[in-house]
Amino acid sequence: MEMTEPITWTCTGCALLCEDIQVHIKDNKVEKVEHACLKGKARVYGCKHTAISTVDQAEVDINSAISQAAEILEKAKNPLLYGWSNSTSEAQVAGIELAQTLGACIDSTSSFCQGITINEIMNGSIPSCTLEEVREKADVVIYWGADPMSSHPRHLSKYSYFPRGELRQRGYEEDRTAICIDVTQSRTAKICKAMFFSIPPGGDAEFMRALMDGLAGRVPKLSYDFDVKRILELAAVLKKAEFGVIFAGLGLVYSIKEEFDLILEFMSTLNRFSNFSLIPMAGHFNMRGFNHNLHEKTGFIHRVRFTKNGPVSGVEYSVVEQLKHGADAVLVVGSDPLASLPLSIARRLKDIPLILVDPCANLTTRVADVTIPCGASGIEVGGTAVRLDGKKMDISPIVQGDGLSDEMVVRRIMEEVS
Amino acid sequence: MALDVGKFIKAPEYDIKIITHRDVFQASACEEDRFGDECQEMSALIVLDAAEMKRMGIQDRANVRLTSNWGSVVVRARASPREEQKGMGFMVNSPWVNTLVSDETTDGIPAFKDIEAKITISKNGITGIQELLLL
Ligand code: SF4
Repeated sequence: MEMTEPITWTCTGCALLCEDIQVHIKDNKVEKVEHACLKGKARVYGCKHTAISTVDQAEVDINSAISQAAEILEKAKNPLLYGWSNSTSEAQVAGIELAQTLGACIDSTSSFCQGITINEIMNGSIPSCTLEEVREKADVVIYWGADPMSSHPRHLSKYSYFPRGELRQRGYEEDRTAICIDVTQSRTAKICKAMFFSIPPGGDAEFMRALMDGLAGRVPKLSYDFDVKRILELAAVLKKAEFGVIFAGLGLVYSIKEEFDLILEFMSTLNRFSNFSLIPMAGHFNMRGFNHNLHEKTGFIHRVRFTKNGPVSGVEYSVVEQLKHGADAVLVVGSDPLASLPLSIARRLKDIPLILVDPCANLTTRVADVTIPCGASGIEVGGTAVRLDGKKMDISPIVQGDGLSDEMVVRRIMEEVS
Repeated sequence: MALDVGKFIKAPEYDIKIITHRDVFQASACEEDRFGDECQEMSALIVLDAAEMKRMGIQDRANVRLTSNWGSVVVRARASPREEQKGMGFMVNSPWVNTLVSDETTDGIPAFKDIEAKITISKNGITGIQELLLL
């Protein structure tokens, strides 16, 4: 078979946004994908069941669905606009403008994911760096409560462990040390071999304090069974690092979220002896973009309500609290809350008017009052996105879609409400 | 006719802490088809320490019911190929495990990685995606 010339594409399968994927297109269809991981390939080939325009679960034309969505949102006293992590920055900005027009709450999946970490990085409390710096300079990398081999499959091969880098010409064999701290021996932990530290669930804060003791030359104390000698050895490795990076996963974030300042204290203790940065393992391709875009507009990264006196932020405006007792209508863009939120919370979506904008039919479409299909970001729709380390990236469409982009859908709704 | 006593004996229940995680194979299968068999097979699954399973009388690939204060689902139990910490079960992020997660939060972040549940052998079939919607 004659092969078409490949085009270079930035993958939107996860927030690593690999920009070196080769895609062969023939007759506006993806023929072959090279360099992408399994997750990236699944993203390129798209979903089997695409969404269709519906109102009350009956098929309608897209204009009627958009009008119905506008009517629902206009009537609502306390609408919530949620999702956004699978949308381009341009769609996110449109969403923020719609929230402002409606006096609505707006929140993203970062609310119960890496938002807390991204906030501290954006306000300068936690030092961070780019993935290119990691590739060129890092000699010690820690995957803490993170399993990139499962969540961001090309992380280790493209940036953090396997490649040669400017200062790391001997690569992983001699120049890099990979450490994993987790509750189970994940795929990433297996690669870290003897540098895998198995801790009990919720044991991260204690482990962090023990490491700080080790760094300061004190004997670490732990309430759970752990070989103190190993902690001292680890502290010695961290002290010697020339360019260290912690990849913070949700295992770490969830475990210490109630005493999150401990990470700040840990980083500053570490940096008295060494040179460490932290990068949050954001999952969805543009989760971080939402935080940046909302911050630019409001000074807050998520959980915002637009009031007459300007935007306010707080836990009461989080998607979880709003779904429990607040929102009286919800617009979801590029997310499947019925699948990704606790059912005890998402169940309420069945009781309030629900609008879903998504390329695919998902669990939430089954209960949505209005469904509006849109082009898949990064496949049929281009724009910009922010990688997990905060770098702004261009993303281009690879095939021509025949529908509206999510940005256009949001803007059409806005035209009808204002 | 002999009386099937086993029918009236309730299968023992054990406490378990469930931790969620991600898996590239499941994520890809569900991205392609959230309603497909492959997505269900890879999602409606709990991985346990093999010795713990033996202690609880749960065979590899047996159906188990997981029940928390928030919901109940039947999933397949699999033995971990390595030794795991005791009293723990691992489930990949999916609507099945989300059925068990508490709605109580003080900070807007549900306890996805700290789910207290009971596990017991089940004669029922695995909870289907359509059934989850009705819960
Ligand atoms: S690692 Fe992420 S961005 Fe890279 S190819 Fe895989 S899914 Fe796409």
